Amino acid sequence: MKNRLSMGAILRRSLVHRRARSLSALVAMTVSAAVATALLTLYSDLDAKLHREFRSFGANVVVTAPSGKSLTVDALARVKSAAGNDALAAEFGYAVAATDRGTSVVVAGTDFDAVKKLDSWWQVDAWPTAGDANAVLLGQRAAQFVADEKAVTLTYADKPVTLRGIGRLRTGGDEDSRIYMPMAAFTAWTGVGPSVIEVQVPGGAAQVEAVMTRLHAALPEMKVDAVRQLVEGESRIVDKTHALMYGAVVLIALTVAVSVLATLSASVLERRRDFALMKALGGSQAQLMGMFLLEALVLALAGVAAGFVVGSAAAWGISQLNFHTSSLPSLRVVPLVLLLNVLIAAMASLFPLRVLRGLQPAALLKGE
Amino acid sequence: MSSVIESPVDLETRDDCAVIALHGVTREYSGHAGVVRALDHASFSIVAGEWVAITGPSGSGKSTLVNLIGCLDRPTEGKLRIDSVDVAAMSATELDRFRADKIGFVFQQFHLIPYLSALENVMLAQYFHSMTDEGEARAALERVGLGNRAEHLPSELSGGEQQRVCIARALINNPPILLADEPTGNLDAANQQIVVELLQGLHAQGHTIVMVTHDPEMAALSQRKIALSHGKVFCHPVGGPVVTLRR
Repeated sequence: MKNRLSMGAILRRSLVHRRARSLSALVAMTVSAAVATALLTLYSDLDAKLHREFRSFGANVVVTAPSGKSLTVDALARVKSAAGNDALAAEFGYAVAATDRGTSVVVAGTDFDAVKKLDSWWQVDAWPTAGDANAVLLGQRAAQFVADEKAVTLTYADKPVTLRGIGRLRTGGDEDSRIYMPMAAFTAWTGVGPSVIEVQVPGGAAQVEAVMTRLHAALPEMKVDAVRQLVEGESRIVDKTHALMYGAVVLIALTVAVSVLATLSASVLERRRDFALMKALGGSQAQLMGMFLLEALVLALAGVAAGFVVGSAAAWGISQLNFHTSSLPSLRVVPLVLLLNVLIAAMASLFPLRVLRGLQPAALLKGE
Repeated sequence: MSSVIESPVDLETRDDCAVIALHGVTREYSGHAGVVRALDHASFSIVAGEWVAITGPSGSGKSTLVNLIGCLDRPTEGKLRIDSVDVAAMSATELDRFRADKIGFVFQQFHLIPYLSALENVMLAQYFHSMTDEGEARAALERVGLGNRAEHLPSELSGGEQQRVCIARALINNPPILLADEPTGNLDAANQQIVVELLQGLHAQGHTIVMVTHDPEMAALSQRKIALSHGKVFCHPVGGPVVTLRR
C-alpha cells in the first residue's frame, strides 16, 4: 500500500484548514517582502538616480581665471580633458554694459548649446539658435531694463550694439538679471574673453573631489572651486536617503514581526491540543518544533515570492513617478529579502516555540 | 470516599509478570505556592492482559498518574517500569520513542485532528511511530467497524464513530498498553455500549487496558480498581467481577 501521510501533507492540510489565519500571516510576510523588495530595488540604483537629479541643478565645479585676466584659448579643452567625457562644461565671459534706458546690466557671453545641456533646469521661453550672432537671452529682471526686447541696444566702453531678444530666462537667481549672448559676438563687441568655466561632474562628492584634483593639476594657474552647497548638499541628501530607507525597512520589518508573532502565537495556542495529541502519539519535541518552523518557513517563502512581485511593481511605479525612469525587477535583492523574511519568521516563532516546549499533553487532552 | 477504598497497599507482589510497575513513585510540582505533591509514594503493578480502572475525585492525582504511565512525564522520585524498562531514567527523546511503542491512548474528547480523515488520523500514529501503511490503517478501521467511513473527516462522524477511530489509532502500532481516559465520558448510551464491547473484545484478545473513569459502572467492568485520594494509591485485589454495562 502506498504511504500518503507526510509532514508536507499534514502541513498543507493544516494551512488550508486554518485559511484565515494562514492568509493573515501570509499577507504580513508579503508586506514585509514587498516593502523590502521595493526599497532595495530603488536603493540599488538610488545613487545614480539622485546624482542624475542633482545634475539637473547645473554646475558643481567652477574654474575661474585669475582676477582681471581671461582664460587661455585652450582652457575649455583642457577642462574637458581633465573632467572626463561624462562631464559637461560651458565657458562664460562677463561685462557690465548700459542699456538704452541707462541702466547697468551684466552681459554674459557663452555657448548656448553647452549651457542648454549644463543648466537644463533653467526655464527658458526659447533658446537662441547656434550661429545667430545677434540673438540674446534676456533674464526676467534684465528684460525690464531694456526699451524693446526685439531691438536691445547695449553700450560697453562707448561701443554700442543692437541685439535681438529671442527668449526670456527665469532661474530665481542672479541669472535673471543678466543678458546672455553668443561668446564670439560678446568677445568681438567687448574685447573680453571667457573668464569662467562651469563644469558639471557626474557622481558623488568623491568623484567631484577627484576631478577637482585633476583640474588643479591640468590648470595650475586657474582657481578651481566646488559649488560647496550643491556637492555637500547632495552628499547629505544621498546619505540621509540611505539612512531613511534602511530605517523604513527595519521599522516595517519590526511591525510585520509583531503582526506575524501575534498570528503564529494564536495559531499555536489554538492548536495546543493538536500538538499535545501528536506528542502523546510519540511525536518528539524536535518533530513538533520542526513542523511548526516548517510552517513559518513556508509562509516566509510564499511571502517572499508574492512580495517580490508586488515590491518590484511598486519600485517601478515609484521610480516612474519620482525619477521618470524605470527600476526593473532585480533578482539581486532576493537573498536579502529572503533573509529578512526568514529572520522575521524566526523572531516571530520564538514565543510559539516556547509554548510548544511547555505543552502538558495529559492536562490539555483532558481539557484542563 | 468511595467504598472501594479499603486500605493503602504499599507494593504489589507480581513484578515478575507486571507490564506496569510503580515503586514509591512520587511526583512533585513547584509553583508559586511552593511544592505540591500530586502523587505520593505510589506503588502498585499491573500484569499483562489485565483491565484496571483508575478512579478518584478531581485533584486526586489521576492526571499525574496518567501522565506517568503514559510516559508523558517522569517521576520526581521512585521507580516506574513499563514493560520491564525503567522509564524514570529515560531522556525526553527516549521517552517519546518509548511512548509511541508501548502506549495507545484513548481520550474522552477523542482528539482527532480535524483536517485529517479518519484514515489519516489512524495513520498519524503510524507516522510518529515509524512508517505509515495505508493498508494496516484501513484494516484497523475495519476492526472497529468503520471501514466505510475511512475518508470522512471527524466533523462528518458521530461521537461514537470518532471514539472508534480513536481506538483504532490507539491500536495501530500494537502497543502492549491501552491507556483510556474516560473513554465513554462523552458518548450516549448506544455508543457507550459499542465502545465497551470493543474494549471487552480487546481485553479478551489479551490487551492490557488501563482506564481512568468516574463512572462506577464502567469501573465495574474492570478486573481491578486502583483508587486515588490526595495523591495516595489504594488498590483492590486482582480478579474483580466483569459485568455487562446496562443503561
